[in-house]
Amino acid sequence: MFLAALSICASAAVMAAVLPRRPRVVVSAALGALGCLLASGVALRILLTGETLAFHTSQVLPVTGFSLTIDPLGAWFILVSSFVGAAACVFNVGYAKGAMASRSALSMFMLFIVTLLAVPAASSVMTLMFFWEMMALSSWLLILTDQTRHPDARSAALWYGAMTQAGAASILLGLLVMTSHGGGQSFADVSAHSLALSGVTRSFAFVLVLLGFASKAGAVPLHVWLPKAHPEAPSPVSALMSSSMVAMGVYGIIRVGEDLLHGGTVWWWIAVALLGVVSALYGALHATTSTDLKRLLAYSTVDIIGLVLIGVGAAGALADNAQPVIAHLAMTAALMLVLAHAAFKGALFLAAGAIERATGTRNLDLLGGLIHSMPVTALVVVISAGAIMAVPTLSGFSSEWLLLQGLLHGFRVASTPTVIVMLLGVIALALTGGLTAVAFVKAFGIGFLGQARSTGAATARETSTSMRVAMGWLTIPSVVIGVVPGLFVPLLNRASSSALNASVVSPLTRDTGVVVSKLGGAIEPAALLVGLVAVMALLWAFTQSLTQRRARRVDAWGCGRELQTPRMQYTATSFAEPLQRVFADVLRPQADVEVTHVAESRYYEQSLMYENRIVDVLEARGYRPLIAVTMRLGRQARRLQNGSINRYLAFGFVALLVVLVVVG
Amino acid sequence: MSTTYIASLELASGAVLLSAVMTLWRRGVRSIVTMLSLQGIALAAVAMVLALHEHERALLVTGALVFVVKGLVVPTLLRRVSRLDPRSRESRPLVNVPASLVFAAVLIVLAYVVGTRITSLAPSHATHLAPLGLATVLVGYFMLVTRRRAVSKIVGLILVDNGIALVTFLLTSGVPLIVELGSSLDVLLVVVVLQFLMVSMRHHSDTDQLTEMKALHD
Repeated sequence: MFLAALSICASAAVMAAVLPRRPRVVVSAALGALGCLLASGVALRILLTGETLAFHTSQVLPVTGFSLTIDPLGAWFILVSSFVGAAACVFNVGYAKGAMASRSALSMFMLFIVTLLAVPAASSVMTLMFFWEMMALSSWLLILTDQTRHPDARSAALWYGAMTQAGAASILLGLLVMTSHGGGQSFADVSAHSLALSGVTRSFAFVLVLLGFASKAGAVPLHVWLPKAHPEAPSPVSALMSSSMVAMGVYGIIRVGEDLLHGGTVWWWIAVALLGVVSALYGALHATTSTDLKRLLAYSTVDIIGLVLIGVGAAGALADNAQPVIAHLAMTAALMLVLAHAAFKGALFLAAGAIERATGTRNLDLLGGLIHSMPVTALVVVISAGAIMAVPTLSGFSSEWLLLQGLLHGFRVASTPTVIVMLLGVIALALTGGLTAVAFVKAFGIGFLGQARSTGAATARETSTSMRVAMGWLTIPSVVIGVVPGLFVPLLNRASSSALNASVVSPLTRDTGVVVSKLGGAIEPAALLVGLVAVMALLWAFTQSLTQRRARRVDAWGCGRELQTPRMQYTATSFAEPLQRVFADVLRPQADVEVTHVAESRYYEQSLMYENRIVDVLEARGYRPLIAVTMRLGRQARRLQNGSINRYLAFGFVALLVVLVVVG
Repeated sequence: MSTTYIASLELASGAVLLSAVMTLWRRGVRSIVTMLSLQGIALAAVAMVLALHEHERALLVTGALVFVVKGLVVPTLLRRVSRLDPRSRESRPLVNVPASLVFAAVLIVLAYVVGTRITSLAPSHATHLAPLGLATVLVGYFMLVTRRRAVSKIVGLILVDNGIALVTFLLTSGVPLIVELGSSLDVLLVVVVLQFLMVSMRHHSDTDQLTEMKALHD
């Protein structure tokens, strides 16, 4: 059944490669969406029944064979990928124009979806690495789709390629270290033999694997590729990258740490949680100051994945501190946040794509007033941004509340380092909550309200039906998880016990809301929603009864000037300016002011230019020097090559002599 | 075990190495080719002596083949190439002649140090001579690296090939005929290609000194 889903998606890739232009887009999208829905069905069945699907063939990959196993943990991530994948396929029908409708781009797109579905199902080292590399390769090519229109795409692709290759090498090395002490390369064998490894070897393997997966997940300081690559990719691809591919990094950490290495030691998970804390704060801070809409979303991905990593790290640390029940709670929160994030970030990236198509820009300082011309997109952004800001009755609130519960209950653990990390986690959760709110109030307020700041924004039209359907589809989880989170509790319990390899009686019981039974604490968002609506209705009625007069429409006061221009409005830059000042030590903004005076008098200004740049400090201080050193070494190595045939022959001769001397 | 057999085997194998060293000593392209021809004949002699001693008819045929290809045909072709420029000499080798000879001595010592480990696996009169073949390989490679003329380089390559052939003859009492046939024809092909190449090089750049051709094409 799952194989059928995979082959349908793969056939979509083939169709995209052979069909002529017009039917190509529609047929591949239809097949892709069908395959994704089928995969969702399989994943849901596994999550509901708790059974495990396994498949092995020695035909496809030589020597090692090809094995897929879907347990509830994998099924949860397949559910996430397939849900977003279906939306991205549908969205692409309206979006694909120009380069994105080409044979290569479309088939790579479908291939990307296949790999996203297959990575969580892979159950041997070679199968995992095969799909992992296919995923990296297809997404890498997709970033380059629009390189003629976006010249930055090349450098973004270079960054992404380098980081993802280094990450994959690190993962492969870690997995090889794990398999080095006998046993096969299937996950069952690795898991069975890993306890025989020495503690140091296991830690070494875990750190290697963690580095690789964390770089894919976009954890700071391995995130530098993410705010470059995600914005440059076509929007359906960015949506998939940001919501599913990044989650694969989280999946990898859980799979290796909890399943293959049986939980390891406390400090591993403390390290994971610390990565999460740093990512959450750094991502949220940069999101507030970004003016490029997609870059803002990309940094916000770093932020949310940081929160997920806090949850995963807390769960691992608590499990190692013999607190399986609270560990279960934290893991559940992390997994729920993965799904919630996939949905709202997917929707937001698709909306960003729709806005870019409609206005020709994604610079917030050039947008404005889109709520009138693009009401559906505006609604999608409101709901998704509300979810990301953890507004009650939306998905972000439910999952972050669960995470907070897990962290707060974690304080009762005796181990001091764990408690400190929990505390840091709580602080990060609180602070990023505020920063995220600023970022998305800015994104919505500047982008959709006020007056248009450019002709592109003024002449924008609402997007096509398929794009609206896709965006709407992705807002469903935001609302459903938000209002009735209890619906997901049985699924999450299965996934979470499978993740922690433990059959703990879940602390969560199912209701319409969520009750943390053994620990105390409950939320009932549905009741909250009803109450909220009731209060609003009452307030509305009350104000209506007080005011008899009809509303008067007049021009807004223009500070004494007659003309009101869109340039008098707040911009995204000015909105974030206070925060930028507060966090200047971290963000290191660079501002240039250039004043040109009128020739007659220095008291009057002719023109004034203000430029504000924020570069990623970690990139400038950490990566640039590294790149410079590498380039210098590369240039020195080039001196070995001068084109002289005698020199090349001499290399061979000297090598031969060295070998002979060493052997003899 | 007749002493004639041992003596002639040692003489022929020694001649292979000696002619290799002499190619380093001579500068004129014509005399280098003559040395190569002598080496081919010596190599054929090694094969013949082994064949007569072990009564292997196939090895006798191989020896005859080596004599024809490496003793006669290849040198003739190379002489024809060098006739394009009768005065051509290896005037400025990258390592001068005395230094080359000293270096060759070092290489021969190295070959013996390494080779004794191989010969000790199956000691016999023939295998004890195998380091000579190894030394020939190293000397040939050295020539390939340090000489500038295209003809000298090809001679170096053939020296390497002859050295390998000597090692195989001495260690295994002859490889199957088909293998030797293949490698000999390869060498022949290389020489024929060289002939064409030299003509076109002279046509383009008026020299066959490979060090002059530094810029790589994209």
